[in-house]
Amino acid sequence: MSAALRIENVSVSFGGVSALDEVSADFPQGKIIGIIGPNGAGKTTLLNVICQMSPPDKGEVFLGERRLTGMKPNQVAALGLRRTFQASQLFAGMTVLENMMTGLHLMSTTGLFGAVFRTRRMRDEEAEMRRRAMEALDYVGFAHFAHRPGNALSFGQQRIVEIARTLIYEPKVVLLDEPAVGLSVNRVAELDALLRRIRDERGVTLVMIEHVIRLVMEVSDHIVVLSSGRKIAEGDPSAVRNDPTVVEAYLGHQAHA
Amino acid sequence: MRALLGKKAFLVLLFGTLLLLPFGANKYYVFAANLVMLYIILALGLNLLIGFAGQLAFANAAMYGIGAYGTGLLMKHFALPYWLSAPAGVVIAMAAGTLLALPALRLSGIYLALTTLAFAQFTFWVMTHWTSVTFGAGGFVPPPIDFAPLPINQEQGIYYLSWVAALLLYIVAKNAMESPIGRAFVAIRDRDVAAQSLGVDLFRYKALAFAMSGFYAGVAGALYCGMLGFVGPESFDLLQMVMHKGAVVLGGMGSVLGAVIGGTLLTVILELVKEFKFSIEIAFGGLLMLFVLFQPTGLVVFVKRWLPGWEERLHHAEDDGAERAPVAADGESRPQTQAGD
Repeated sequence: MSAALRIENVSVSFGGVSALDEVSADFPQGKIIGIIGPNGAGKTTLLNVICQMSPPDKGEVFLGERRLTGMKPNQVAALGLRRTFQASQLFAGMTVLENMMTGLHLMSTTGLFGAVFRTRRMRDEEAEMRRRAMEALDYVGFAHFAHRPGNALSFGQQRIVEIARTLIYEPKVVLLDEPAVGLSVNRVAELDALLRRIRDERGVTLVMIEHVIRLVMEVSDHIVVLSSGRKIAEGDPSAVRNDPTVVEAYLGHQAHA
Repeated sequence: MRALLGKKAFLVLLFGTLLLLPFGANKYYVFAANLVMLYIILALGLNLLIGFAGQLAFANAAMYGIGAYGTGLLMKHFALPYWLSAPAGVVIAMAAGTLLALPALRLSGIYLALTTLAFAQFTFWVMTHWTSVTFGAGGFVPPPIDFAPLPINQEQGIYYLSWVAALLLYIVAKNAMESPIGRAFVAIRDRDVAAQSLGVDLFRYKALAFAMSGFYAGVAGALYCGMLGFVGPESFDLLQMVMHKGAVVLGGMGSVLGAVIGGTLLTVILELVKEFKFSIEIAFGGLLMLFVLFQPTGLVVFVKRWLPGWEERLHHAEDDGAERAPVAADGESRPQTQAGD
């Protein structure tokens, strides 16, 4: 089993406080990987390090064989690593369709010249982006929202569009930062189904931070547990669930007493 | 009916009127109409930067001045013809504008505003104090511009040059904003971190936005130099910057058509109240306050709401609140059920 994403001995500290301490992990290709841990465990920091939004003090991140450390986030995106955010990040000044088309930004090869003169190639590319954006909206069942402004959707709908926007340009690995936060129970179930579908139909590797433990345990193939910046356990959901170190990290020492 | 009220009809009417005006109107009206076209160009350029790309920069008047000074001084000191000095002035203004993209990479909002304001004040200081080159506070008169072999004088030549420039630059702005470039600008304005995570190169597009607005301001400056036949620092002070900003706010942030409306209306209103001393500042200040308080998205939003055929591809965030309510009807408008862990 080859690793789609690999982190090696990653350490990060903020003003002397260690957020991540020598964390290493392999994220297998085509699987859903859950990263869990109590508040302050360093989950979001790990995501930011992987997509190079905050550089690690030490350690390396690899996407397949490519070393990502030191790249800019947009370069990492161009290699096929995408992410979603905790708060909704739809572009409010665009329609849902335009949001999706922005997800295809890297597909565009026309510069200012092509845009100003509306060259044949530019118009063909725009038409192709529009077609693919509609197709992707259809995939998540949101085609009827195409021409609404991004901020006209509900929180949960925005979240789904954001995930669709992240997935539209055939990524290899997608990082999901708490995709279920603020969603109703029904929507969590929908999300669950969507994530599985993406894994099975598109072969995308999904790395997910999540507080909704039920969702993580249900959809993940592999789980990494962080606590106080260190990796304390790793394995399939049932193994992790019964790991005494994990139980202790979540519930504290008194759980044993 | 629909076609008569649409944006195409408005643009044909506006540019048609401007094209024919010199045949009937007196010198003053021709001058005012020329000014209208310069402000359309200035508002278009500034709107690309602040309205679309969301970069709160305050150096537009400085770049306008650099365009005018560059053009005029090259004619005055080196006796270059206008057709050489004007493009050179535009290139200098565009270079200065692009330079401002460097601080914009690290700064945003009020900090970027202050940095660019400092740049503008520095430019103004150079215009006023580097007397041996810029002729100081009194300004200078560039040599007359010869349009031979065309059978037109300087006034007519600059007028039609401005007409062509305004029309072309409107098309450039419109086409650029209806392309991946426009989406990249708006993405950076709305959510720069998310934009970057989708592969948008922040530096490249910020630099492009600054360069484009520098280019527009430079073109307006080069034309201004020829139109007025005089260049002095007081034309490019802080009030001038606020006027450009006013034109954008009046017409509509993040709307190419809005910039055309704003540039036109601002010039017309200010020319109308010009006869009363100090009234420009008062009328202008009042107008700006009214708009910031009650219609921050500009006039174009009114027009879009009431007239058919004014749709633009990238619309501003707040421009259709009416459409917003019915969609969020699946019972989860805001974060609520955070199933516990």
